[in-house]
Amino acid sequence: MMHWILFGPEIYYFLAAILFLGVSMAGRPNPRRDFFTALILAAVGMLVGLATVRSEGVLFFEAYQVDLFSQVFKVLLTMGLFLVICLCSELDGVEAGHHPEFYLLLFVCTLAMMMLVSSVHLLSMYVALELSSYSLYVLVYLRRGRALGLEAGLKYFLVGITASAVMLFGMALLYGTIQATDINAMMRVLPGLTDRPIVVIGLLLTLCGFFFKLAVFPFHFWAPDVYQGAANQVTTYIATASKVAAIAVLIRMVAVTGEGSRYLAQALVTLAIISMTVGNLAAIVQKDLKRLLAYSSIAHAGYVLIGILSMSLDGYGAAIFYALALLVMKFTAFLVVVTVADDGRNLEIGHLAGLHRRSPLLAMALMLAVFGLAGIPPTIGFTGKLLVFTAAMHKGYFALVLIAMINVVISLYYYLLIVKAAYLLEPKEELPILAISPPMKMLTGALVGVMVAAGIFPHHLIELARAAARVLR
Amino acid sequence: MNMQFADFPYLTAILLCCVAGLLVILFTPEKHATRIKWVSAVFSGLTLVLSTYLFCAYDKSQGGLQFVERIYWVPSLGIQYFNAADGFNLPMLFLTGLVFFTGVLTMWELELRVKEFFALYFLLVAGVFGLFMSMDLFFLFIWYDVSLFPMYLLIAVWGSTRKEYGAMKLTLYLLAGSALILPAIIYLVVHSGLNTFDLTALMQPHTFTPFQQKLAFLLFYVGFGILAGVWPFHTWSPVGHVAAPTAVSMVHAGVLMKIGAFGVLRVGIFLCPQGWQYWAQLMALLATVGIVYGAFVGLSQTDLKFVIGYSSVSHMGIVGLGLATVTVDGLNGAVFQMFAHGVMTALFFSSVGYIYDRTHTKMIGELGGLSRIMPVASAFVIVAALTSIGIPFLASFWGELLVFISSFKVYPVRGALAVGALVVSALFMLRVVQKTFYGPPNEKFAHLPDVSFGLGLPRMILIAVIVLFGFFPSLMFDMIATASIPLVNGLP
Repeated sequence: MMHWILFGPEIYYFLAAILFLGVSMAGRPNPRRDFFTALILAAVGMLVGLATVRSEGVLFFEAYQVDLFSQVFKVLLTMGLFLVICLCSELDGVEAGHHPEFYLLLFVCTLAMMMLVSSVHLLSMYVALELSSYSLYVLVYLRRGRALGLEAGLKYFLVGITASAVMLFGMALLYGTIQATDINAMMRVLPGLTDRPIVVIGLLLTLCGFFFKLAVFPFHFWAPDVYQGAANQVTTYIATASKVAAIAVLIRMVAVTGEGSRYLAQALVTLAIISMTVGNLAAIVQKDLKRLLAYSSIAHAGYVLIGILSMSLDGYGAAIFYALALLVMKFTAFLVVVTVADDGRNLEIGHLAGLHRRSPLLAMALMLAVFGLAGIPPTIGFTGKLLVFTAAMHKGYFALVLIAMINVVISLYYYLLIVKAAYLLEPKEELPILAISPPMKMLTGALVGVMVAAGIFPHHLIELARAAARVLR
Repeated sequence: MNMQFADFPYLTAILLCCVAGLLVILFTPEKHATRIKWVSAVFSGLTLVLSTYLFCAYDKSQGGLQFVERIYWVPSLGIQYFNAADGFNLPMLFLTGLVFFTGVLTMWELELRVKEFFALYFLLVAGVFGLFMSMDLFFLFIWYDVSLFPMYLLIAVWGSTRKEYGAMKLTLYLLAGSALILPAIIYLVVHSGLNTFDLTALMQPHTFTPFQQKLAFLLFYVGFGILAGVWPFHTWSPVGHVAAPTAVSMVHAGVLMKIGAFGVLRVGIFLCPQGWQYWAQLMALLATVGIVYGAFVGLSQTDLKFVIGYSSVSHMGIVGLGLATVTVDGLNGAVFQMFAHGVMTALFFSSVGYIYDRTHTKMIGELGGLSRIMPVASAFVIVAALTSIGIPFLASFWGELLVFISSFKVYPVRGALAVGALVVSALFMLRVVQKTFYGPPNEKFAHLPDVSFGLGLPRMILIAVIVLFGFFPSLMFDMIATASIPLVNGLP
């Protein structure tokens, strides 16, 4: 009986999804009802996630492991879902009739990602990954005015299944070599074999599925189109929760190699450098804010990889901390996008003009978020970067850290363009003051507070991230 | 949390004044502009009082670190909130308080987005204070960036003359500097094996190998050197100074550039003394080029603010030359020059800013005969110009003198070149003064009023300080020597 409590959060999200399945089949659309139901369910879900953060155990013939690592990520995922649903009060990017399906898919996707972070078996990992990906394919497609959503959804789907195929091939190679599909079993066998070419290739190909999720080069080119084509709220979800899950599995898979493999590390170094550079250079010329944030996500995937490829406790801890930081910062940036683009349209950087007068709070939140993304202290983004770079430096990657810092300076240019748009540019015609509801104001204020406070007092979060990373050994 | 505090945390109190001022400003409605200005004046005045008190209360006979405050912030990473005062940072803290307070008074006439301006201005100065007093590398770096990022908005919103270009260039240059500093800090902390960011722990001899010191020092020198306007990384500085609004120019040229030199001293030289000795030749070379280059480029400028901007490059070269001598006299001269140049440039920008606000031009050719129209305002600029030339009994004289004497001993040729360049710049500065303030007055400006007492006050305070330290330089030198003598004697 105890075992089922371990699976509690997942069951909860499953039931919530079923509820929305029922709603979607019943009668006339009622967006307000759907929104409040989803909001309450997600809020309770977050509490459920928090309540089970300390639980530990193994389920389903050792294919499913509940530990601090997975639970911390589950809290982040439930938090991500809750935050995204907070933005759905004016869900104009999706047709009203499709709102129940929209929430259904969001809950299913979150459920799949929660299973993903707990999976310790290649097959369950694969199934969870596909479940989350397929929900997202449909979510992207749900955009009102099909042309944009269709193109984005199709592109996402094609890249996604290619990555999945490559990943399956990698898993097959691994299984063929070491006759194990269980992460814990692999952990016992692999460390001695990590310098064998077939193992390195198998691991790398397996990681491709997660590279796709995280938008690491060479599986990054879906990101700009999907970010642009999907409804703003869906983009927010892809940019926050889905990245968090990808970081989690990447950490788990790389940690399998124990002390780490030289070749694997070198491959990851290369990917990290290319991701950062490609992302940052391409972001400079973007006009559409969501495209710009997509490229900045690609760059951040590179920074996260630096922590992961350090293959040390500090490195994994840093990556976990970075996942949290990314979640908060990216979400804040998208909150501004969603609020300013109140009719669900896409937002160009120029449309931010005059934001400092239309809503000083949003302008400040946006500024802090992009400065955080740029890694400027005293924000949570800086702490994340410091941890990641310190971990890499411990492993002697001096040049890598230097290149990453140069990338930070490049990225600052386009982040400053955003700040400039919000604070300096004046709109062509006078725009009204943005009406923001009091709960949204509180949420924005809370996010601002978290970004700064976690930058100044990071101690407990760092300890938590390290404790979570320690489970992997 | 373990803590260690002196009887009263004066240093933290300075920071708290900035933060409190910032918060009060943030929660004052925009329409009460005058109230915001008074709040700014009171809180900045408090920081000046506190930093002056510290300057006087420091026990010179004992020396070393005093007013120590320490909180173990993130024990797992070895990060401490660790502030202390010594002979190097007290002059800088005093300078910051001075420029901060006079800057607020200088901006008394500001009308555009007053609240945001002063909020950002307080944030900027909080970063500067924090950097000067911090003895922990982590916090030092945080303060460094805190002092940089308000600059972009301050210049881009309230500036003039290609302000957006100037702001972007400045921000990217300075953050490129931090991109070198952060890896160097992490490199040293990781390789020390001590798991601490505490400067005093890391600066123990033999913590780092000579190679590590050389590598890290180079990164620190270039990274902080960008901020100090070291040639060839100086190009942001004249552009940025010209674009910035008056008070920001004051803080910027007066204090922020000193942060660069101070960073080289506090982080580079303290942690990597062998790297310092190794790269001293290069430092001296670049400093001399900067002095000569700044002086000659200044010759061809027609914009008053550009003249000051390039003279800053030249004067910061003198600081660099002093640091490069690796002698007690050189260090004393360099730190004194940092202080004197800070006060002098603040006065310069503040006075020129007044003239610009009235005439709306900074072009030397369009002004002329101003001393008849606004004699007091002109007198302020002329005093600043004379200080910049290095007239005896005005503060800069002593710093320059000491640097040149010590550099003649170590680098005779470079020292001679630098002195030669200074003579050129002196001649030019006098010509600028002559063209701007004497000769036939421009009719267009004849109706303009002279400085009122309220607006003259900040400039008078600055002049008083320049004269005080011009007549009693030992007030400052005794202070600096308490830190520089142990540093040089401790060299391997």
